[in-house]
Amino acid sequence: MEGTDMPTSYQPGDVEPIDGSYVHIDVEGVSHRVYYEENGPDDGIPLLCQHTAGNNCQQWRHLLTDEEITENFRVIAHDLPYHGKSVPPTTQEWWTDDYTMTAKKFTDTLVSLADALELEDPIYMGSSMGGNITLELADWYPDRFQALIGLECGAHSPGFYIDWLDHPEVNTTEVNAYACWGLMAPQSPEQSRRETMYLYEQGATGVFKGDLYYYSVDHDYRDKLDQVNADECPLYIANGEYDYLTTPEDGRQTAKGIGEGATAIELAQIGHFPMSEHPELFNAYIRELLADITGDRDEALPDVLEPDDVGIELHPPGPAREKPAD
Amino acid sequence: MNETELSSHEWWESYKETVNNDPEMDVRGHDKFSENFYIEIGDERVLVEMNGGEIAELVPNPTMNHQWSFGVEGDREAWEAFVQETPPAFNHEIIASHYRTAVRGEEGHLQLTGDNKKIFQHLRAFQRTLDLMRVAHNNGGN
Repeated sequence: MEGTDMPTSYQPGDVEPIDGSYVHIDVEGVSHRVYYEENGPDDGIPLLCQHTAGNNCQQWRHLLTDEEITENFRVIAHDLPYHGKSVPPTTQEWWTDDYTMTAKKFTDTLVSLADALELEDPIYMGSSMGGNITLELADWYPDRFQALIGLECGAHSPGFYIDWLDHPEVNTTEVNAYACWGLMAPQSPEQSRRETMYLYEQGATGVFKGDLYYYSVDHDYRDKLDQVNADECPLYIANGEYDYLTTPEDGRQTAKGIGEGATAIELAQIGHFPMSEHPELFNAYIRELLADITGDRDEALPDVLEPDDVGIELHPPGPAREKPAD
Repeated sequence: MNETELSSHEWWESYKETVNNDPEMDVRGHDKFSENFYIEIGDERVLVEMNGGEIAELVPNPTMNHQWSFGVEGDREAWEAFVQETPPAFNHEIIASHYRTAVRGEEGHLQLTGDNKKIFQHLRAFQRTLDLMRVAHNNGGN
């Protein structure tokens, strides 16, 4: 495997340059203790990274250790409240309610976090629910971010608010993960796909489903794409070839509906969790988008980014070859 | 690529052996997977009788005398895509394929039928069993 930031390159005693901290923020009048990890120079361009529904910041661990990106960018990845190491608020009887995410709560959290960390002109990047929220951010807070990257983003993503994902007669630990198995491309390395499933298995009861309320119910921009102010805050919609929830074509249609300032890019041979299902390929792809944002890229971004375009050769183990090569 | 044609007698025998020798079917409770399901390829239906995470019996053209909890239906082209070594987007996994049929109303994908609760109770074991069609079709990954 190429690249210096991939797990196979570590030796005993190596310590990764990721720092973890807790910051206290207010969301809709409630105080939350929010965990975040970061790497990169203090004066680097802040790149705030949002995990997917029911997951946590570990999805970004290979971006956080990408030496080239963290040379110029201060990469920050947080756990939303109730996710990962961000415990539920200590002032609330949260156990008497079903956890439910909404567009308003989600945007309040992200803007409160950016404010609390005093991020100047940050770039926001998120996947899935974190991708969809770029539309609300550009609608409601176009001045707060330098640019928005919506990975696996669409105007509408119905059909995944499923009761079985929080049901006492279902093994939701495993089901919440493997309901997402096919969201990843079969070309992605099996180790990375399995780790993505492992991260899903860490979610608390009902949190994945509660996030999907926002994702599949509350978020619906089909009739209001004209409200998305991409002309004030550039918006990149980058959807993976194997993302069956928000397809590359959905991304193109969404960008077209938004108009000026919105750019759609298809990411070939990758799926809905690009940063964790195939970190090497994703990091190479995202360098192209970041270069476009910072003005370091001369040519316009192509309609489709392929592995060949970014110098990545896909690894031989295909989906049918899941046995160890012994 | 396996020379054996999808859904031939030899193919099903090879598939049964692949499932019954798969280490993932022995762990995480997958060895409790004892729900029968059918696979319908075009107009050919085969009942897969599961017992303890293994295929006990394959029954072509099951009748009212048989029992099953759920099934998967699709035309032959969709299944041929599904078992490719690197399957094309949206026919690469059962939930993906079903979503494009059931939620997006598209043609040419697979569709789940039957008891949704039992599907979700055994989701990974069932999904793995279907993915092993691809392993069997490509010579067991060897």
